[in-house]
Amino acid sequence: MALLRLTTALLLVCAARLGAQTGKASETQVKAVFLFNFAQFVDWPPEAVPDSQAPLVIGILGGDPFGDLLDATVRGERRGARPFVVQRYQRVEDITRCDILFISRSVADQPEDILARLKNRPILTVSDADRFAERGGMIRFVTDRSRIRLQINPVAAEAAHLTISSKLLRVAEVITPTGR
Amino acid sequence: MSLRDWPIKQKLTAMLVLISGLVLLLTSAAFAGYQYWSLRQATRDALAVRGRIIAANSTASLAFANDADAREILSALRADPHIVAAVLYDKSGHVFAGYPAGVAGDVVPAVPGPDGYRFERGLLIGFQPVEQSGSQRLGTLYLASDLGAVYDTFRLSGVIGLAVMAVALLAAYLLSMVLQGTISQPILALAETAKAVSTRQDYSVRASKLGADELGALTDAFNQMLGRIEDQKNELQRYAAELEQRVEERTHELQERNESLRRNAAQLLAANTELDAFAYSVSHDLRAPLRSIDGFSQILLEDYAGKLDEAGQESLHRVRAASQRMGTLIDDLLKLARVTRAEIRTEDVDLSGMAQDIVADLQRTTPERQVEFAIAPGLKARGDARLLRVALDNLLRNSWKYTAKQPQPRVQFASVEANGGRAFMVRDNGAGFDMKYADKLFGVFQRLHSAADFEGTGIGLATVRRIITRHGGRIWAEGAVDQGATFYFTL
Repeated sequence: MALLRLTTALLLVCAARLGAQTGKASETQVKAVFLFNFAQFVDWPPEAVPDSQAPLVIGILGGDPFGDLLDATVRGERRGARPFVVQRYQRVEDITRCDILFISRSVADQPEDILARLKNRPILTVSDADRFAERGGMIRFVTDRSRIRLQINPVAAEAAHLTISSKLLRVAEVITPTGR
Repeated sequence: MSLRDWPIKQKLTAMLVLISGLVLLLTSAAFAGYQYWSLRQATRDALAVRGRIIAANSTASLAFANDADAREILSALRADPHIVAAVLYDKSGHVFAGYPAGVAGDVVPAVPGPDGYRFERGLLIGFQPVEQSGSQRLGTLYLASDLGAVYDTFRLSGVIGLAVMAVALLAAYLLSMVLQGTISQPILALAETAKAVSTRQDYSVRASKLGADELGALTDAFNQMLGRIEDQKNELQRYAAELEQRVEERTHELQERNESLRRNAAQLLAANTELDAFAYSVSHDLRAPLRSIDGFSQILLEDYAGKLDEAGQESLHRVRAASQRMGTLIDDLLKLARVTRAEIRTEDVDLSGMAQDIVADLQRTTPERQVEFAIAPGLKARGDARLLRVALDNLLRNSWKYTAKQPQPRVQFASVEANGGRAFMVRDNGAGFDMKYADKLFGVFQRLHSAADFEGTGIGLATVRRIITRHGGRIWAEGAVDQGATFYFTL
């Protein structure tokens, strides 16, 4: 009986830890999937696409929170004829050709500088930094009670000649930047 | 009443209504089947379209895990009351969002089935892939709709169909009531005419022709037939009348002839009677002077024999012989007349005994003649004994007389079968006669032999024939010259 009780307790502890881990991993994974999914709901201007088979680049600026989750998510996937490629950048200057850029929290304290450097380039900027959308970013991940919500700044996207699908806008919170 | 006995009007109407009903029924059934099938197809297509729209709309919800938005999209299905359940599964096959709220259980499969729309367990279900840009599989939409829409439409079209069918049948009935007349009317007219002809024997009626079709031709033929029958009937009547008239004429003629015959017969009878009476009285009255002639001749011969020479006596003898012969002649005539006048008394007569008596009398009066008589015994007949004796006496005496020149005279009396009946026969082997004079034998004063050969008056056989005739019998003779004669008679 004591053994059973002990076993149950152990199992409960294990389950709780596992759940916590899964929740954490899940959140990152969801973000990775979302990053991948953005490619489906955003159209780039023609000049941003060198040819129809050119790889679609998802870049990570700063510390990589995904590990190999993002690589695993995009592996083998295509948008039309374009395969997906994951690039990691430490500095803004390193960014050559990129379609979707995730700006890590590690470098996002002052996103304005980074965004200013990327201004007018057809790059979909994504981050989970605070008030990212209000500060000129295009899409922000918002964690709301273990759910990931989106905030989108369509004006910024429009400025970069990106077309965000109305469907995407539908599921997101549209942010209109104040100030500036 | 069996269908066979229905009036033709009802038959035609029933046929038309039945045919149109059957056509309507088959058409309706085919149409209903087609409609049911196409309704199901249409419903399935409609659900597929709806599924595609919802799937297209819910791509972002699935892609970015916004289940509230997904539910909102699904809740738009509220407009369709036939949607039983709608469920969005995410990429890994877990239920992501459902409609109506809290839907679960039987109608929601735990995991998505193969893509496509199909009918299952009275429901129309569909699994619609949710894809963005036609490549990225984001999840699966499940839709389940009941078939109420199909049944509602089907029921409505069924009601409409039944109403149309009822109206069409009514129209068909009314139309057939009118149209059947084109066929039944001439037939009924024909039947009416035929009935009139058969019941009233009236061949002058004619069926009215209502069209130029086969029935019209039939009517024409029928009328022609009636005309011919009428003509023939008239002709027959004419013939019958003619025949009747002819029969009447003939009857009249016959009556007239009968009348004249009767008159003739009466006249004849009267003449005969008169003749008989005349003959009798003449014969009777002739005897007295004859007796005087004979008596006075005898006196002359006896009392005046000495005064007469040989030649005178001879002449007186001749006078006496002649007057005696005349007496015999008168006797015979009297007998003949008596036979005619006498009344017949019918009784049983022993002909054999009668013949024996006659033969005995003959042998007694002329014993010098040796004639062989063969008389069959037991011959009997019914008739008048006195008259039959006269007849038999005449016949036997005849035979006796004509066998006089025969060395071995023989006379036979017997009965034989002749002409299918019994006849009496008197046969001799005497002088006979020539058959060509056979019909003259029985005439009065008809003699086939001269008095020099065989004496006689020529009245005997006439008397015999009259007796036989009066008995209702018949007499005839056969014979040849010098070969004998045979007389047959029936009674």
